[in-house]
Order: sequence, then C-alpha cells, then structure tokens
Amino acid sequence: MKNGLKALSFFRNVVFLKWASQIIFLVGLLYIIWSYIQNAVVNLEQTNIAFSWGWLGETPGVSIAEGMYTLPNSGRQMIQVGMLNMLRVTVTGIFAATFLGTFLGIARLSKNYIVEKTSTGLLEVVRNVPLLVQIFFFQAFVLTFPRLEVFDVGTYNLHVSAKGIAFPWLNRQPTAYLFWVYLLAIFLLANRIYKWRVQILEKEGRETRPFLWSIGIFFGLLVAGWYGGYRVMGVIGFLAGYISTGVDLLPAIFYQILFSSIAVFIGFRSTKKFIDSKKSEEAQGIYSDDDYFKIILNVIVVLLVVVLMFSSVGLGLSNFLVGDEIVFKADWGVPQFFDGVNNKLYWNPEAKIVLDAQLDGMKKAEIIDWIAVPGTEVTKGDVIAIVIAKDLKGDLNQEISINAKYTGVIEEVFVSKGDTIKINDKTYDIRVTDSKPLELSRPKIEQIGTTKFKKYADGFGKSLSVGYFAIWLGVVLYTAIFISEVVRAGIMAVSKGQSEAGLSLGLGRGALLRLVVLPQAIRVMLPPMGNQYLNLAKNTSLGIAVAYPEIVAVGQTLYNQEGQTLPVFLIWMAFYSTVSLTISTIINYYNRKMKIVER
Amino acid sequence: MVDLIKKNIKSLQESLFSSIGSAALTIATTYLVINFFRGMLGFALTSDKDWLAVLNNMQLYMVQAYPEEDFIRVWLSVGLTFVLAGLSIGIWRSDDRVKSSQVFNSFFKGGLGVLFFTIIAPTNASYMGNDGSVITEEVFSMDTRLGILIPVAVFCVIFFSVRFTNINFTVNSSDMVFFYLFIPVALLWFIKLPTIQLDQNNERIIPEPLMPIADTTKIPWTIIFVAFLVSYFIGMYLKNIKSIKSTMSLSWFLLPLLIFSWIFKKPQIDMSVVLGSDLPIFGVFLLWGFLVITFVNNSIFKKYYSTYLGATFLLTLVGVFSGLPMLAKTCLLLIALFSVVVPAVSTSSQGKRSLLIVWAVALVTLTFLLRGGASDTGIVVPGSSIFGGFSLTWLLAIFGTYVSFPLGVLLALGRNSKLPIIRIVCTGIIELTRSVPYITWLFFASVTLAVFLPAGVEFNLIVRVLMVTAFFSGAYFAENIRGGLQSIPKGQYEAADAIGMSPFQKISLIIMPQALRAVIPTLVSSAITAFKDSSLVTIIGLFDFLTIGKTVIGNQSIPVNFVGHDRENLIFVAIVYWIFTFTLSRRSMKVEKKLGLGER
Amino acid sequence: MSIIQTKDVKKWFGDFQALKGITMDVAEGEVLVVCGPSGSGKSTFIRCINRLEQHQEGQIIVDGIELTNDLKNIEAIRSEVGMVFQSFNLFPHLTVMQNITLAQIWVRKKNRAESEEKAMELLERVGIPEQAQKFPGQLSGGQQQRVAIARALAMEPKIMLFDEPTSALDPEMIKEVLDVMKELAKSGMTMIVVTHEMGFAKEVADRVMLFDEGMLVEENTPEEFFNNPKSDRTKLFLSQIL
Repeated sequence: MKNGLKALSFFRNVVFLKWASQIIFLVGLLYIIWSYIQNAVVNLEQTNIAFSWGWLGETPGVSIAEGMYTLPNSGRQMIQVGMLNMLRVTVTGIFAATFLGTFLGIARLSKNYIVEKTSTGLLEVVRNVPLLVQIFFFQAFVLTFPRLEVFDVGTYNLHVSAKGIAFPWLNRQPTAYLFWVYLLAIFLLANRIYKWRVQILEKEGRETRPFLWSIGIFFGLLVAGWYGGYRVMGVIGFLAGYISTGVDLLPAIFYQILFSSIAVFIGFRSTKKFIDSKKSEEAQGIYSDDDYFKIILNVIVVLLVVVLMFSSVGLGLSNFLVGDEIVFKADWGVPQFFDGVNNKLYWNPEAKIVLDAQLDGMKKAEIIDWIAVPGTEVTKGDVIAIVIAKDLKGDLNQEISINAKYTGVIEEVFVSKGDTIKINDKTYDIRVTDSKPLELSRPKIEQIGTTKFKKYADGFGKSLSVGYFAIWLGVVLYTAIFISEVVRAGIMAVSKGQSEAGLSLGLGRGALLRLVVLPQAIRVMLPPMGNQYLNLAKNTSLGIAVAYPEIVAVGQTLYNQEGQTLPVFLIWMAFYSTVSLTISTIINYYNRKMKIVER
Repeated sequence: MVDLIKKNIKSLQESLFSSIGSAALTIATTYLVINFFRGMLGFALTSDKDWLAVLNNMQLYMVQAYPEEDFIRVWLSVGLTFVLAGLSIGIWRSDDRVKSSQVFNSFFKGGLGVLFFTIIAPTNASYMGNDGSVITEEVFSMDTRLGILIPVAVFCVIFFSVRFTNINFTVNSSDMVFFYLFIPVALLWFIKLPTIQLDQNNERIIPEPLMPIADTTKIPWTIIFVAFLVSYFIGMYLKNIKSIKSTMSLSWFLLPLLIFSWIFKKPQIDMSVVLGSDLPIFGVFLLWGFLVITFVNNSIFKKYYSTYLGATFLLTLVGVFSGLPMLAKTCLLLIALFSVVVPAVSTSSQGKRSLLIVWAVALVTLTFLLRGGASDTGIVVPGSSIFGGFSLTWLLAIFGTYVSFPLGVLLALGRNSKLPIIRIVCTGIIELTRSVPYITWLFFASVTLAVFLPAGVEFNLIVRVLMVTAFFSGAYFAENIRGGLQSIPKGQYEAADAIGMSPFQKISLIIMPQALRAVIPTLVSSAITAFKDSSLVTIIGLFDFLTIGKTVIGNQSIPVNFVGHDRENLIFVAIVYWIFTFTLSRRSMKVEKKLGLGER
Repeated sequence: MSIIQTKDVKKWFGDFQALKGITMDVAEGEVLVVCGPSGSGKSTFIRCINRLEQHQEGQIIVDGIELTNDLKNIEAIRSEVGMVFQSFNLFPHLTVMQNITLAQIWVRKKNRAESEEKAMELLERVGIPEQAQKFPGQLSGGQQQRVAIARALAMEPKIMLFDEPTSALDPEMIKEVLDVMKELAKSGMTMIVVTHEMGFAKEVADRVMLFDEGMLVEENTPEEFFNNPKSDRTKLFLSQIL
C-alpha cells in the first residue's frame, strides 16, 4: 500500500514535474523547429534550390554602387562590402549622434527661451515622424540639385549635385593600416605614461606634470611617425607571416579538438565550482534534487557541444577556419587571416593594383608592352606598361601609358603582353616602399569614357553618395534626438544639491556642467545610451530604401541573383547579432568601469 | 497695460540676454530658425511644386483602390469610431475647467506667431532647374502678405483687448474638444480648394474659380460630427451606469475587429441557405441550451447528467466527422463545452438568466460569422489587396499590437520564470529577435517564410507581415513587461502562495495586473513606435500610406501627370504621421500623469 | 495530539546553514511564541512550515501530512495554514474586500455573495468593516495588517503563522494588531508567532521558544522563560530586549 502510494507520488513530485515539463517543452520546441526545417527541405527540393553556401565563392556578376570593391569577384566579397558599408555608417554615426545629442540635450536645459524652444521643437518634429520618411526626404532633398552632367570636368573644393556631396579628404594610402596601428600604440603608450607619472606624483608628492608628459610624448611620436616612423609597426606583419606559415600546417581536426576541449574545460570547471560550493563546511555536501538536475544539464550541454563539433557542422566550421576553399569557397581561415595581416602590416605593405580609370574611362585595354617585371623597383609616376585602350564597341583605339601608383618593388605581374584586360582586373602587386599614410586631395569630377555620364573620381577627396548622405543624416539626427532625451534625463537625475554645491564653490555654469554634473550624469546615461547605439546600428538597415548598399541591400541583391534566401537571412542574423553584442559589450565595459570609480 | 508690456520685456531680457554668450546664442538660433522657416516656405511655394499632387490624391492616400460604391463602409467605420470616442469622452468627462482668459491668451499668442512668420516670410524664392541654373521668382507677394497680416492683426487686437474686459468664464476642458473639432468641420463648408479638371483630350486645365471641396467629404464629416456630439451627451447621461466603463473598454478592443471585417468583406448571402439551413440549426441549438439551463437543477436530470454529458460528447464526436453543415458542427462543439459549464454557474436564477443571454449572443455571433465568412465578398479590388494607404497603415499598427501583446506577455513571463530551460529559450528568442532589424524580419516574411510552411499552405503577404511583427514587437513588449514584473516585490508572490493560489492564478490575478499597470507608459510608447515602424513595409512593396506618397503618386501619369512630385507628398506624409504620433504621445503623457496621481 | 511536528529540520542558503536541526512539536490550540535575534533562523523556520522555503533535511509533518515535493501535499498544507507577513503583502491593485474574497472565490470555489458575507464578518472581527471598499494604499499600517489577518482567516485555516506581524508598524498601531491576535488566541486557534513583543508572549503564549544561530536554544513556558531561564543565551537575550 505504502509503496504503491510512493510510486504514484512520483508524478506529483514538484521537482520531477518541474523538470519533466521543461524537458517536454524543449522537446516540443525542437520538434516544431525540426518539422519546419523539414518543410523547408521539401519545399526547396521542389523549387530546385538546395540550401547551399556555394554561392559565396561564385562571382555574382553584379556591381555595387559604392564600397571597397565595386565589382566584387565573389559572393563573400560582396557581403564583405555590405558589412563594411553598414559599419561605416554605424561607427561614424555613433560619434556624430553622441556629439549632436549631447549638444541638443544641454540646449534643452538652457535657460534661454529661444534656444530651449528651438531644440524642443526639433525634438518633437524628428521624434514623431517615421525615420523612413525622413530618410526619403533627405534623399529627395539632395536629388533637387542638378545632375552631375551639367558641371564641368575638373577639381572642386566642395561640390553638391544629384549624385551626392563631395569635399576634400585625407585619402588612405596602402600604408594607412600601419599608421592606424601606430596611432593606437602611441595612444596606449601615452596613456601608460600618464598613469606612471601620476603614480610617481602620488608616491613622492612632487609635481610630475603627467598630462604634459603624456601629451608631449604623444605628439612627439606622432610627428616622428608621420615622417616614416610608423613603419616600426611592420614588425606585427613580420611576425604574422611566420604565424601564418605555422597555422597553415594545422589540420581541421585540431580546431575540432580545440573547441571540444574548451567546452569540456568550461563545463568541468563550472561543475567543479558548483560541487566545491556544496562541499564547504556549512553545506556539508548535501544535494537537493534540483542540484542533481543542474549537474546533469551541465554535462548534457557539454556533450552536445562535443558531438556538434565532431558532426558535419563542426567539421564545416573547422574547415572554414583552416581556410579550406572546398566547403565554403572562402579564404577567411586562420592562416589567411595572418597572411592578410602580414600583407597589410608589413614594413612595406603589399598593394594589389587594378587597371582603373587612368584609361580615361575605357572599358578594356590590350597590352602592347609591359615594361616592369617582378623585382624591379619603380618610382611613382614611372611608366609601367603601354596599352591600347578600347571602348565598349572597340571602335576607338588610343595608345595610353600606365603609370605606377606608388613607389616600391613590383612583386608579381598578373598579366602579360598581348592580354586584353578589363577595368578592375588585377594587374600587378607592389611592395610599397614610400608613401605618406594619408594624402589630402580635393574632389574631382571625371567623365566616364566617351559617354556623357560623369562621376566623382575615386580616391580624390571624399564623395558621399545620395544614399549614404540620406541614411547617415537620417540615423544621426533621429538617434541624436533620442540621445538628447537621455542626456537631459541624466543631467536632471543629478541632484540639485550637487549643482548648488558646485556653484557655492564658485564654479561657472560651464565648469559646473563639465566638472560636477556631467561625470555623475554619465553613469545614469550609459545604459540607455547603449540602447540608442543599438537602435542606430539596426536603423542603418533602412539604407536599402535609398539604394545605399549596406548588408541588407547587398543581401537582397544576392538572393535575387542566386535564389538563396535562407543563407542570406542567416548571414544577416549572425552579422547584426555580432554588431549588437559588440556594442553592448563595450557599453557594459564602460558601465562597469564607471561603477568601480563610484566605490 | 504699459506695466504689463514692461514686465514682459524685462522677463524676456532676463531669459534671452542675461550674458554675452546667451545673447550670442539667442541671435544665432533666431537667425537659424528664421532662415530655416524662410527656406522651407520658399521651397514649398516655388512654382515647380505642385501641391495638387497631394490634394488630388486624397482618396488614394486613405483607402487606395477601395471601390467607390462601397465607401459607405469606410464612412460608417470612421463614424462608429467617433461615436465610441464621443461616448468615452462623455463617460470619462473630466472635471477640469479651462479659463476663458487662458483660451483667449493662446489665441492671441497663436495670432502673434502667425503675424511674425508672415512678416519674415520670403518675398522671393529660388529653385534650381535641371540644367543647374537658379530660377528666382516671387512667391509671396505684398498683396498676399497684407491679405494675411491685416485680418490676423485685427484678430490679435481683439483677443488682446478681451483681457481688459469683464468677460471671464470657465469651460469644461472636455467640451473644448468639440470646439476644436468644430472649426475644421465648419471650414469644410466655407473654404474652397482647387481641384484639377481635364478637358476632352485629357489635358489638364487650371480651373478658373476655386472649387469647393467635394460634397462626398463635406456631408459625411458633418454627419459624423453631429453623431459625435450626440454620443457625447449620451455618454454623459450614461456616466453612472455600473460597469459601463468596462463595457466601453471592451468595445474599444472589439472595434478594430469589427471595422476590419466590415471593410474586408461584403458578404453575398444566399437567403435560401440562411432560411433553409442556418435558421433551423440556430433554433435547435438555442432550444437545446435553453432546456439544459432550465432543467439543470431538476433532480432526475441531475441524476443522469453525467450520462447526458457522455452522450453529448459522443454525438459531437460523431457529428464533427459527419457531413453536417459547418454551423451544426461548431454548435455541437459549443454545446458540449457549454453543458460542462452549466451546472457550476447556474446555481441562482440570476446566473441562469445571464447564462441564457450569453448562449444566445454566442449563437447569433457564430451563425453570423460562419455564414458571412463562408460567403463570397462583394468588394472587388483590382490587382491589389483590399487594404491600402492609410487603412493599411492602421491595420498593421493595430493588429500588430493585438497579436504581439499576448506574445510579449508570454515571453516576459518565460524570461522571468524560475525554470532554467524555459528561461533560456525565452531569453534566446527575445534577444535574437531584438538584435536583428525589423526590415530583415520583413524580408523574412516576404521571401523566406513561405519556405518553412508546409506545402500548399499560403498566406497573404499582409498576414505574413503580421506574423513576423507579432514576434518582433512581441520581443520589445516582453522587455517592457519584464521591467514591470521586476518591479513587483517578492512578498506579493509569497502572499499569493500562502493563500494557496495555483501558479496560473497567481500570475493572472496578482502579478500581471500590477506589472501591466506599472508599464503602461512604456507600452504606449512601444505601440507608437510600432505605428511609425509600420511605414517600413513600403520597402517590401506593400501599399501603405508612405508607399502611396513616395512611389505611387510620384509615378502617376494618368489621369493627371504628377511624375516627380514626391517631395510635396513626402512632406504631406510626414505631417500626417506627425499629427498622429504627436497627439498619441501627448495623450499618453497626460494619462501617465493621472495614473501617477492615482492609487499609489 | 500534536498538529505540527518537526524532526531535525535543516536548511541551507548556499553555503550558509540557516537551520541546524530543529525538532519540536505544537499541540492543537496551542499558542507558540518564537523569539530570537535577527538572523537566528526563526522566520526561515516558520516559512518552511508552509513551504515558502524548502527544507533540505528532516521532516515536517502538519496535521498528519508530511511536507515533501508532492504537489498535493503542498496544496493541502497551504490551505490549512494561514500566514501573516511582516510587510503585510496585501494586493495593492485590489480593494480590501477583493483582497479577502479573492482566495475564497478562486481557491475555495465559493460564490461571490457567500465569500463577501464571510469577508464582512471577518472585517468586523478585526474591527474595520467600514474600510471594505478602500484600497490598501489608503489604509494605515495597523489597518493593513488587520486586513492581512482577515485575508488569512478567510481560508478557514487550522493553523496561523505570524512572521513578525508588528515589526513594520508605528508603536501606536501595534496594540490594535495585538488585540486582534489575542482575541484569535482565545478563540482556540493554533498559532505560531514570531515576534519581539514580550508582553504579548507573557500574556497569551502557552510556550516560548528562543532561536539562535539556527538552533533551538530554549523551549519553556512563559513564566519559566522570563523568570527562570535555563540557558545563558536566553538570559543575555532577555537582558538586551527588556
């Protein structure tokens, strides 16, 4: 009798019910997901589009309006352009929106009637109109300007047309990456020096001028760097070259084992920690039913990861990391990564030169003489080859010489005499030995071949396309308005007593804001600010509406070409999740830092 | 009077020119604002803009291709909304009173604003031709300027001088709504707007006299206004009836559903089927329910009640798989459920009566819905969906909220749950959904979703968009509601546990009501965001309000050529969106204030 | 016949052991006062009795039902044990009347009229029938606690648990709550009261217990407890509190 009751009570056991219901829920959910995937498999079979990643390696055969490659040679490269275009708007947008938003937020607290009302008015307008409408409006606004064709060919200081906005800019040269890394390094160094001087100041109690020291060293190194010193950073590329050769030897199984052991290690450590906490004197090693379930769940998760790593998914991932082109047709593996670092961050970085608009807009050219062979040293402006340029129909021939773009050593030549090459074809590699990292230039209008169409020349000044301008201004203004609300709330959260205390110390309004109020307000402001940054990043996806080729627009073009909607969607998801995660990690980092200061 | 002006000038001086920096800021901002205004006005008035592109396409904006002969359905829907609004304002009539001097003062200030902006309005404006040349023309002649200035100046003087008279009374602030609504309705009768006329060759002729607004708009709006006013008084009269407020809330909830079905379908009902099959079935089941309710307490019937229940279930099971008409099948299911409930509820005569009413209403609704739903629609929209333009925008906003809200509640509860697997899954769903922009979800709806559905199942794009919106807004709602859940002290859970409530009762009776009340303001702002975000469907090719303005009219060449006039339309679209969102957010702020003063 | 029996009850919060083996029993109709310094585990102990906290070792038997993970047992015990909290925990979105009738309607499945009648009766018993239609936020602390007592009584429990019912109250309101509790004790209700009100313990309690560091230090009649304590810990406690 009693045993019978006990067996029955099993089904009324709270802990059992709790876990059973969860497991049923999970199994049900997995079943639903599985059945939908099954549907997808059947449906795709019927439409003859099997789920594949192969298109990443194929040439999409479409051009992109703007970005680092306008004629991408693979789906992967196209996606890359989309990602970079999105990040371009996001990163610059975040800085601009923060600046503008802070300004507007302070303006809204101004005692000046007109300033306050104007900023409030702007807030009410921008906040209550859908972002898409605003973006369309900015686009329509730029399109009001006359077409580029009515302007003369030549160089301008500032230029606005229906094709976009162009202005002078520091253009990047092949050595720019080296210079960025150098900048980062000397910034960190200056920071470290500042801390070191402060330490001495605290220890010995004498004036050590930490700020002057750090800023002096920073600018000293900056000047030294600008005149060639930045090439010191080439050591990174040098080392990366060796690492690249090293990791090239690693087989796929290495990564499978690596990830599995990491999972096992983490699982083991957390379980051990859990068990240790139970082993303590007070807990006396007693486990509740819940605790057993937790341990079992932990083990299951670890096993799942291990199984996954040794399944086709894990193998695919590992092949991807090895740089195996068979599975993904991509060269994004670990060796390729280090190889890329080696090329970009070497003392003499490598530049791949393509045939470009030097040919006065011709579509193709036949090489009649190639002068520079691998190993020769050329100076900028030297004649490298002589070609006969042809337009599309081939009825206009013109002899033109191609000049070297940079000073350096020719590494490899991809073409040979007699070839017919097209614009954007790779022609030769060069090890750049001498060039400034950045070069100031003014925008230039050029004519495309013998057609009447004109465009802003690449590499001369900076030209913002209509789409870029519209989406950038749109998201910046929209986010800035929300940031201004955050800033206002943050400042108002700092108690009135703080301001009064500051004023009684004789601080001016500006100094009060800068020294007392803002540092405290930032603590309140950071989390909502992070949310706004996330929104900004997501809102850049509206670029598709104004033909700005960011990741969504590029993805759409791609699946219209290939019919692979599902992989594109997965890429979108992965990319946006990564961006969101990165932004929130950075914000959380600063949030924590701020909290530590508080203590 | 002189003192007053002196005082005002002094306070202005303090606020605007307190220091050199402040003065500089004032001047710079004023300069910017004035120039912005002049630029905008000049932009709007130059002769390359054609505002008739907006005015002439109002119908397209509102309902897109909805057939004109069925407009009465649209008008009735709008009318019903206003009647309900009137009733609600009457029932919730505030006791706040507005002083007449305040009203006059705001009129005076508004008049001053108009005066100021008329004076600074640009006389000439320029625009750029296609060849890059700048064309300058007079847009705001002295005559027009004086034509505005003089009446407005008189208007200002009148309202300024009222201050010094003895006219002083107060008005109920709810009544003011009618006054403000009366102005546009009255203007419909007097203001004349130009419309486009075409000659025999379909060439556009500029109409000589200004045409009055079409009677199709003027008369319905007047009728609606009158109905609004009448229902306001009815609402005031009904104010004290018990449970009228909850009835009104329920009506507001049901209204969109009603309007949706009303506009969506004009059922072509075959009367012979109704008389031959629907009515008898209806009668039989009404009688059945009546008998059950009447005899439920009869001792003999009570004794065999379980047998009766078993028989009913068996009958239902057989009936559902037989060839009975749909109505009969559904009614069978319903009566089986109903029979289970009856003994528990009909213990008193009052319970019996209300049960009978519920049963009758349920049957009528069911009959009506099934017959209406199964019949063909008489509304034929060529080549696109029935909903378009502003009606589609509303549809997406309201139904998006309808479907996403319950999902948001579930996800929030899941994320707040003590059960780890459920918590992890819900957190995953919420975070994954939120980390990806809405537009990619819309693309998912338009191109990818179909892949996952079983073969043969197809949904309209609008339905797919609503499905995806449910998840997307649901995730945002969930985060808001979670905030509310976290604000509830642990003691509330414990107290509910201690009086023996089940987990479901605890959540639905104790926790949720409190959590939702705490987050009403954020929920409203989320709903406003959903309304604004509905404009994104323009990217996937649905004909919402924005698409009409941006794409449809911008490419319209028949009957009148409006190609390239999308800037005017965009400004109009922006203004309409602005009016709605601004009003909504202002209302919600007021409600928030009231809630804050209320119970806590 | 004891209505509550506990045997060697142990409870941990993570590494911290809150209860180190409590063994006791309570007879039907008995009023038991539990006192002790804060953090001594007395609140945890009575919360274990109606399963607001789970004990990890030992046995708790209430009215012949052992508290285990069995769902039915938990339900049964909760409907027999009423609880009054330090912070009242009234439902702020419901009126006083709704607070009291809620559980009757949804848990006991009574109809509305019947439960409202019962609620009025209880409100009269605790002395605030006129506040029935107000919201908890509109009442004073003492009134709120009396509503909480009425809410617990509405379930017709056999046992009432009081978790420091007067600690969150202003001094002038303590009396009105204690009066209600005294009346309840006289009516023969089994009560376990965690409190610092020694006057109440002297007057009403059948037995007094002292908890310290998760252990039951002393268990005695009130006269013995206050006048002739056995352990030094009790003496120290009494000297600090009186």
